[in-house]
Amino acid sequence: MRWLLSFTVAFVCTVVVQAKSFTGNRLLVVLEEQAEREKYSVFLEDLTSRGFTTNVESPKADKLSLLRHGERAYDHVLLLPAKSKGLGPALTANNLLEFMKKEGNILVALSSEQATPTAVQALLLELDINIPSDKGALVVDHFNYDSSSASEQHDVLLLPFPAAVRPDVKNYFAGEGYIAVPRAVGQSLGNESPLISPVLRAPSTAYSYNPKDEAEGVEDPFAVGEQLNLVSAMQANNAARFAIVGSAEMLQNKWFAEKATLGEKVITTANREFAQKLSEWTFKETGVLKVGKFLHYQDEGASKKLNTSLAIPENNPTIYRIKTDVHFQVEISEYTNDHLAPFVPSPSDNIQLEFSMLSPFQRLNLSPIAQTANATIFGVAFKTPDQHGIFNFRLNYRRPFLTNVDEKRQVTVRHFAHDEWPRSWQISGAWVWIGGIWVTVLGWVAFVAVWLYSAPSERSVKKTQ
Amino acid sequence: MRLLSGFVSSLLLSGAAIVSAASSWSFEDATVSVSSKGAEAGLKDKLSPSTVLGKSVSLGATDTLKLLLTTTDGSTAKRPHQAFLTLTDPTTGLEESFVLSVKDSGKAKVNLSHKDLPHQFLTSSKPITASIVIGSFGSSSPYKSKLFDLAVNRDANVPLTIPEAPVRYAAEAEIHHIFRGDPESPPKIITIVFAAAVAGALPILLGVWATLGANTSHLTKALGNAPVSHALFFGSILAMEGIFFLYYTSWNLFQMLPAAAVVGAVAFLSGSRALSEVQERRLAGLR
Repeated sequence: MRWLLSFTVAFVCTVVVQAKSFTGNRLLVVLEEQAEREKYSVFLEDLTSRGFTTNVESPKADKLSLLRHGERAYDHVLLLPAKSKGLGPALTANNLLEFMKKEGNILVALSSEQATPTAVQALLLELDINIPSDKGALVVDHFNYDSSSASEQHDVLLLPFPAAVRPDVKNYFAGEGYIAVPRAVGQSLGNESPLISPVLRAPSTAYSYNPKDEAEGVEDPFAVGEQLNLVSAMQANNAARFAIVGSAEMLQNKWFAEKATLGEKVITTANREFAQKLSEWTFKETGVLKVGKFLHYQDEGASKKLNTSLAIPENNPTIYRIKTDVHFQVEISEYTNDHLAPFVPSPSDNIQLEFSMLSPFQRLNLSPIAQTANATIFGVAFKTPDQHGIFNFRLNYRRPFLTNVDEKRQVTVRHFAHDEWPRSWQISGAWVWIGGIWVTVLGWVAFVAVWLYSAPSERSVKKTQ
Repeated sequence: MRLLSGFVSSLLLSGAAIVSAASSWSFEDATVSVSSKGAEAGLKDKLSPSTVLGKSVSLGATDTLKLLLTTTDGSTAKRPHQAFLTLTDPTTGLEESFVLSVKDSGKAKVNLSHKDLPHQFLTSSKPITASIVIGSFGSSSPYKSKLFDLAVNRDANVPLTIPEAPVRYAAEAEIHHIFRGDPESPPKIITIVFAAAVAGALPILLGVWATLGANTSHLTKALGNAPVSHALFFGSILAMEGIFFLYYTSWNLFQMLPAAAVVGAVAFLSGSRALSEVQERRLAGLR
């Protein structure tokens, strides 16, 4: 029995090592014309060398189905632009959303030369990502263009790698050099959803226009400046990832290391690196968080050894008294490329613990207290509030580009027991009352003695006579 | 010779003009004016492509800002593909571009009033940076430069509907539970004074009894008449107080009740004898 278990463990380990993505390595590449495959060969080979088993299919293929028996048949989908406007019955917007509900990841590449398929349009509409409705609209910038390949049209943008979206968000797309974005379809993002975030923004002087209608001068641009995105991303509540690339040409071999001219400078495009970073993020090779041990215990003054071994289960108390000193600690790992590493949040970001009953009573920033081989241990010490009830230790950590962490453990917080209060003589205000009781006790004993043993006095005898 | 050199220099100048004509976008005859509703055009300022306007242009709630200019490619008026008035919030970096409507002759204009501006600009504390972007296809270099500061004056009495900030995933403000204050005792000196007064009541009581003639002179007599009953009765009363004391300090109810029952039974049985003895003394006129 033992050998069987160890064999299973070893087998699981080898499987984990083989798959570079956290969720699986089955990649479906949807490409209408097999001849086009050559254009993307370097990108696809890079994916294969990172451990993905790529499966190139035409959207019209008979057997093509994203889900099989209600489970996803692939882990990731790469949708490359197609000539035809429809993507066939297997790839409707609804199917793609169902696929994402099963935690499948999708990378969509658009092209301004080909109409965006209706399925993709409908999908983007669902996700609150807007693209120009007319075919052929593309992004130009008269300031940051490649003057060797687009000296007249200015539609090949050369942009540095993006900076972090916010100072408190980790940047998974940083790099050195310039990215060429040829003839991109710009996207503008809805403001309401926290799930969508820009990856690569257009520079402030860029705008989107339609060469057919607005050849003379731009009158009513779709979007302008940094509100125009060239690459954007969405991470659903179940951490399924979706990325949209405005220009499929970005991913083609010819732009992976192409000589380009920005102003006077001759540069080599770094699209290959950017494509790798983007696909790594989309296919969950980076930015995946995993929570290990979730511990809390009463601080009894003595230092307690950290219980980080996997063999020992979490052994958390189920009940605390109000106003008790409690220690909390949690292990968080981040999956990067092929292993779990200690998670280091952005310096201006905080992981927060909520101690809550309906609403948080305490919301505290955790600080890193130790590191194991593949996890950072974050911890905080606090006092349980002076309110009894059913509370939760809740760790709700949601940040753009990171998978969601929402863990909670329920504990009871009880009142003081009757023998946990301070005794009455310790309360100085009670001394008067305690004195009163003692005076009563002694007076009573004296009264009993007098009543039992008192002889008649002279005076009282006189009175009765 | 002078003539020649003058000719050469003018030739050079015109050559330079030709080169610049092929190479850069700019504008001329630019004016910015702010006119109030009803009133005629008020302030009018000339703008130049190379300098920033010294003062900031203020735009009131009912005012309309009008920007007129002629775009030029080199020295000839020409229509560019892109002619934007870009407003930038200097603190947040928020940008909004307004498209200038340009005629083929290069004459461009844009009107701006409060309703065109996003609410972030209306509430901005610092003046907003206004710059012009002119660019087009081909080899002419584009133009972008800051031209003036736009101070948005809002009527403070008119409420502004600012939409609620959308949800963004970020660290929230910390919450530290505010504990109720611990119960407090009055100053110890007051407690001690009153406790002393209470304790002082006992000697006063005993003293008053003594002056009224209370004594324990019959103790020997009582013990002589019924020694066991009296010793047990008075002892059980003391023991009951001791039980109460132990219950107060350490015992629980289940330790206290049996002991109290035993002592109570003793008190009842011995008490009836002891009190009979007291009655005998009373009937003998000794009380």
